[in-house]
Amino acid sequence: MGIIPIPLIIWLIEDLLYLIIFPGLVTILVIVIVIIWLERKIAAKVQMRFGPLWVSKKIGGALQSLADLLRYSFQEVIIPEKADKLAFILAPGLMFAFATIALIFIPVGPYYSVLFPSYYTILFSLALIIITPIFAITVGWASDNKFSFIGALREGFLLISYEVPFLLSVVSMIIIFRTYDYISAVQSQLSFLPGIILNPLAALTMLIVMIRTTGRFPFDITEADSELVLGLYTEYSALFFGVGMATPYVELYNFSLIFSLLFLGGWWPFTLNVMNPIYGLILPGIIVVIKAFIVMAILVFLRAVYPRYRLDQAVRSGWSYVLLLSVLSVILSVGEVVFLR
Amino acid sequence: MSEVRKPRDPVTGHVKALAKGFKYLVEPNRMTLDYPAETMKLPPNYRGFFTVDDKKCIGCSMCEMVCPPEAITMVPRIIGEGGKTIPAPEGEKEAKGPKRTKRPVVNWGKCIFCYFCVDVCPVDAFIPTQVHDLAFEKDSEYRPSYEEYLKPPEEPYKNAKKVVSKADLKRGVGYDPAP
Ligand code: SF4
Ligand code: SF4
Repeated sequence: MGIIPIPLIIWLIEDLLYLIIFPGLVTILVIVIVIIWLERKIAAKVQMRFGPLWVSKKIGGALQSLADLLRYSFQEVIIPEKADKLAFILAPGLMFAFATIALIFIPVGPYYSVLFPSYYTILFSLALIIITPIFAITVGWASDNKFSFIGALREGFLLISYEVPFLLSVVSMIIIFRTYDYISAVQSQLSFLPGIILNPLAALTMLIVMIRTTGRFPFDITEADSELVLGLYTEYSALFFGVGMATPYVELYNFSLIFSLLFLGGWWPFTLNVMNPIYGLILPGIIVVIKAFIVMAILVFLRAVYPRYRLDQAVRSGWSYVLLLSVLSVILSVGEVVFLR
Repeated sequence: MSEVRKPRDPVTGHVKALAKGFKYLVEPNRMTLDYPAETMKLPPNYRGFFTVDDKKCIGCSMCEMVCPPEAITMVPRIIGEGGKTIPAPEGEKEAKGPKRTKRPVVNWGKCIFCYFCVDVCPVDAFIPTQVHDLAFEKDSEYRPSYEEYLKPPEEPYKNAKKVVSKADLKRGVGYDPAP
């Protein structure tokens, strides 16, 4: 060929890399499908059931989530007569979109610059993650269904009680690393200790908030299928329902990436600092995603063990234990910065 | 001030529960039926989908009246040759005049399978079956027309192994092949 200049080819390949692999739509799809299957399988094993099996019996029903996706795509779309139609249709999509866009600001390797080299990636990703529950409340409002509405109210209560500890736990890590950027946060962990050792209280708070925000057990309160039919998504069907169901898993992936970057040392065993797409993005990225996946697997395992908290119990522990933990974690961080460095 | 109950110990309970869950994850003890490959042999009075005998029914509407969730609708029909009914002309809501009658249609989305209708029918016109595991693709399929309702429901997994459950001292529940 020789007509296309080589830099352009590299540039194109890099773009494709970003689009497909990190943060990558394909990676998200695969992760979400695998984690849903894993969650159902783990819960089934512990609860003496088989779980998904009959779609692709040889590999333990691993294609079940894909089959579900196909089914949702071709199902009949039912929009309730009294629903606020525009909001009803848009809200799940927007929720999914914002959860996905937040991924862009979570770098998985030192050589990562999708939009621009940013010194504020932590702030951007947090801002986008915090927007998503607003659409959850919109969903509840637009459905014009009492169960959805109660689900939305519960979401609002929990949102307010757990957002403060969440932000405080991230703030305490920002204080320790003295940066708003994931890449330099990871680099300061590589040269010292991983964040979970520096501030275990913040890590614990973050874990609890992750469970709550993504609606895993025991904080499955907004969906509560034994009380609220399906909470927010009672009126949804077909692809809208599928998107709504997948969003918490994308959020879970978001949070787990943030957790592994801030607390588990990011791409820790891999400390080679070479700025090219293979050594600066793919290899560290794989390590970060594996760490995030392990965190996700532990969190979905909770479904098999826990019953559901009542709303008042969850709100109370949010404003007491979890808030206390997060305030202590900030004090711990300040103490470390003052006395250790 | 109302008393706020505090958890006795915030750590031990969680650790115990997680450890137990992990134990079951490593050594699962699965008790459920391997469903489409094996199905339970059902007891003789098991209440499944049912249809109606067009010739036997006398159109008395007792079933409609007794149905708790109001799942039964009476449709106007005309008695034709050999006792079979044909649809009444369009727009005719009431069954009036000679040869005019009514027949029940069940909305499967509403029916709770209480079988009150089957029991109340003065001429035993309903034909009960044990088929209970049908799936409907569309919302409209829950509400069959009278002609669709007359077709007897088909059992989806005819070749499945029939089993009966038994108490298994080690595992809790076990299954034996049906006699
Ligand atoms: S079984 Fe019960 S609910 Fe169903 S149609 Fe008969 S009376 Fe109604
Ligand atoms: S099915 Fe039985 S109860 Fe119902 S209308 Fe016919 S005869 Fe009467």
